[in-house]
Amino acid sequence: MTAVDLFVSPLGRVEGDLDVRVTIEDGVVTSAWTEAAMFRGFEIILRGKDPQAGLIVTPRICGICGGSHLYKSAYALDTAWKTHMPPNATLVRNIAQACETLQSIPRYFYALFAIDLTNKNYARSPLYDEAVRRFAPYVGSSYGPGVVLSAKPVEVYAIFGGQWPHSSFMVPGGVMCAPTLSDVTRSIAILEHWKDNWLEKYWLGCSIERWMENRTWEDVLAWVDENEAQHDSDCGFFIRYCLDVGLDKYGAGVGNYIATGTYFEPSLYENPTIEGRNGALINRSGIYAAGQFFEFDQARVREDVTHSFYEGTQARHPFEGETKPLDPKVGREQGKYSFAKSPRYEVPGVGYVPLEAGPLARRVAAAAPGAGTHQDADPLFLDMLNRIGPSVLTRQLARMHEAPKYYKWVRQWLDKLDLHESFYTKPVEHPEGRGFGSTEAARGSLSDWIVIENGKIANYQVVTPTAWNIGPRDAAENLGPIEQAMVGSPIVDPDDPVELGHVARSFDSCLVCTVHAYDGKGRELSKFVINGTV
Amino acid sequence: MSSVLWFQGGACSGNTMSFLNADEPNVVDLITDFGLELLWHPSLGLELGANAQHLFYACARGERPLDIFVFEGTVMDGPEGTGRYDMFAGRPMKEWVTELAAAASVVVAIGDCACWGGIPAMEPNPTDSTGLQFHKRDKGGFLGPDFRSKMGLPVINVPGCPAHPDWITQIIVALATGRAGDIALDELHRPQTFFKTFTQTGCTRVQFFEYKQPTLEFGEGTRTGCLFYEFGCRGPMTHSPCNRILWNRQSSKTRAGMPCTGCTEPEFPFFDLAPGTVFKTQKVSGVVPREVPEGSDHLTYMAHATAARIAAPQWSKEDLFVV
Repeated sequence: MTAVDLFVSPLGRVEGDLDVRVTIEDGVVTSAWTEAAMFRGFEIILRGKDPQAGLIVTPRICGICGGSHLYKSAYALDTAWKTHMPPNATLVRNIAQACETLQSIPRYFYALFAIDLTNKNYARSPLYDEAVRRFAPYVGSSYGPGVVLSAKPVEVYAIFGGQWPHSSFMVPGGVMCAPTLSDVTRSIAILEHWKDNWLEKYWLGCSIERWMENRTWEDVLAWVDENEAQHDSDCGFFIRYCLDVGLDKYGAGVGNYIATGTYFEPSLYENPTIEGRNGALINRSGIYAAGQFFEFDQARVREDVTHSFYEGTQARHPFEGETKPLDPKVGREQGKYSFAKSPRYEVPGVGYVPLEAGPLARRVAAAAPGAGTHQDADPLFLDMLNRIGPSVLTRQLARMHEAPKYYKWVRQWLDKLDLHESFYTKPVEHPEGRGFGSTEAARGSLSDWIVIENGKIANYQVVTPTAWNIGPRDAAENLGPIEQAMVGSPIVDPDDPVELGHVARSFDSCLVCTVHAYDGKGRELSKFVINGTV
Repeated sequence: MSSVLWFQGGACSGNTMSFLNADEPNVVDLITDFGLELLWHPSLGLELGANAQHLFYACARGERPLDIFVFEGTVMDGPEGTGRYDMFAGRPMKEWVTELAAAASVVVAIGDCACWGGIPAMEPNPTDSTGLQFHKRDKGGFLGPDFRSKMGLPVINVPGCPAHPDWITQIIVALATGRAGDIALDELHRPQTFFKTFTQTGCTRVQFFEYKQPTLEFGEGTRTGCLFYEFGCRGPMTHSPCNRILWNRQSSKTRAGMPCTGCTEPEFPFFDLAPGTVFKTQKVSGVVPREVPEGSDHLTYMAHATAARIAAPQWSKEDLFVV
């Protein structure tokens, strides 16, 4: 048996650096440690500040999903201050955040994920030359249009919010803007352009309506072979390539999922509360663990810091959360190895477990029984889980599946805007309160817990999708979702373990990852950099 | 061909994301048409394996010519001077910055964090973050007030949270096409061509400002008025071309009804976001703005305001940005 430890540094970033250390035995990963290598202290900065400071500060946690940060920080204040949200304001928030995700989908796919498909390890695939022709960075026939056109959906964001990234135009009680007729018509035209010139032309090779008819994995396979346009589209090609090079075979992860949901039905969330949140969601929340569905309840979230570079070992609910950083050198002496905390969720009858956040978790939640008429009900990815299981392919396809779905929603929300009605109700700025705001960033569940005392922030805790996914082991030594997903990955070439890049990137975590390779005796074999996941 | 190495310290990648929204040139144009050689960037390009670190060291040692070193994010000194709050490729990021800044022909700070510390450096600055050559408005920062790159230039600051893609791409193209000499810097090392004007220059609300007509509420309230009087808009005191070079080719915050937060100035976020300062104009005696437009004073301002209100035509008191 040959045992190899691999330490990859850096492996792909946006809000910091991620080091990944793996042990490889007989060409297969047997254990993994994810190490977030950067700390910025936003939760410390927010203490004692104006209650609305989170609207300015939290978008700057992550430049790729700043609009999602703004969205949930506004709802945290809405629930704390018991605001009234005019239906138009709910629609504008939905539109803006969904457009951020529509930007992220192609930008992430081409700039971050697909370039790995051109790795020389796949040169033996009969589809390799075609993969290089399409996906090679900068010059690929799909890379250019995919990356450049990804800037279009956020033009719509700018029409409502002034700019993207880093606007703070969502405020308690609504939004700052009051769009005019041409703001809406231009938004529609921009989205149509994006749909025609990327989504249908490059990605699907068919109408979005045709794609949305796919309800099972069998449907998807039949769709690929239905005609030349679909077979040769980037989506059709991607599925064929994954099946050829085996991306459907590894990267499974913990198999338990969390979606906190996003986008509200305006009439059901005019007075935002924590309790009324699940029922008002369009993109549903839900926990799927041990093969069962459970309703999401924020009270069951804990953040464990046993292996994180923070003082203490106690798992705390975010309302009682602490952020007391340690020098990594000191932390390592205590068995800690990451600046990410480890969010865990108490599943009834199961206990505290790590959960995967992200598009796959959302798509699974969308398959739960009991959807309201206003809610997303979509069985495709539960069927895929049951048929082929979670994998790099399943996760990627879940992400891409949301492009046509969100596009349709945004168009509907734009149609529902009543330009002659209100976009804002001035709230009472209560000096005391507790709020919870949450959403689904492109890469998964994103939540704020705010405690306001004496007219200022007493505590502010943010739990990001990246923390859910890249968090380290917990007190019970359960591996975090990406750590678990690495286990079982075949490594063809320890000098170029592209497989680990696929797994890490399939989570689209906001970090440049660094993978370090060691052998069983602690000798470093190789070290390589995987540029950032967006 | 110009070689570019782009690193991120205490960053959110917002400047990178902004950069990817660029058009004329877009990011692909920069590389394929302008011959920009992006040696490495945290979220672009192929992985380089062990070669990445070799490349970084080769640049740091001067074995590989580095034309432009772009830095995004703060330089972290904490905890206790070790820099270990930001480890990159096996060592504290600040060590990379010292070596690469010394090796590059030109050093460009992208975004507030790299220019002057930005949000991570706001009170209580838990990571001991600072900018490359400024800490807030004080010259010095990480590299020191006397730093000059190989070409003899101080750090070129392209501030903003984030910087607009044009402020990045046009400067890169200027450097790449031999126009470094045309980049005149102001006292904060910002390119004057972008940062001489005010955020208010070109704002669609400037007529309301002229007649001292305030916006009184967000949402439909922003169909009229100027955001300076009640909502803390810093447009008249902030230097940026946000209303000359529009965001995402569409709009700007002030046009869309959001007050300018002054994010191209070193003090951003202003007042350290203390209670009562967010989206609220700070006033003297409850009436007069504590800060008046650059170059004015309270007496002159009040005299001007009184006359302006008298002169205000009826339309300036009504909705202008209507359906």
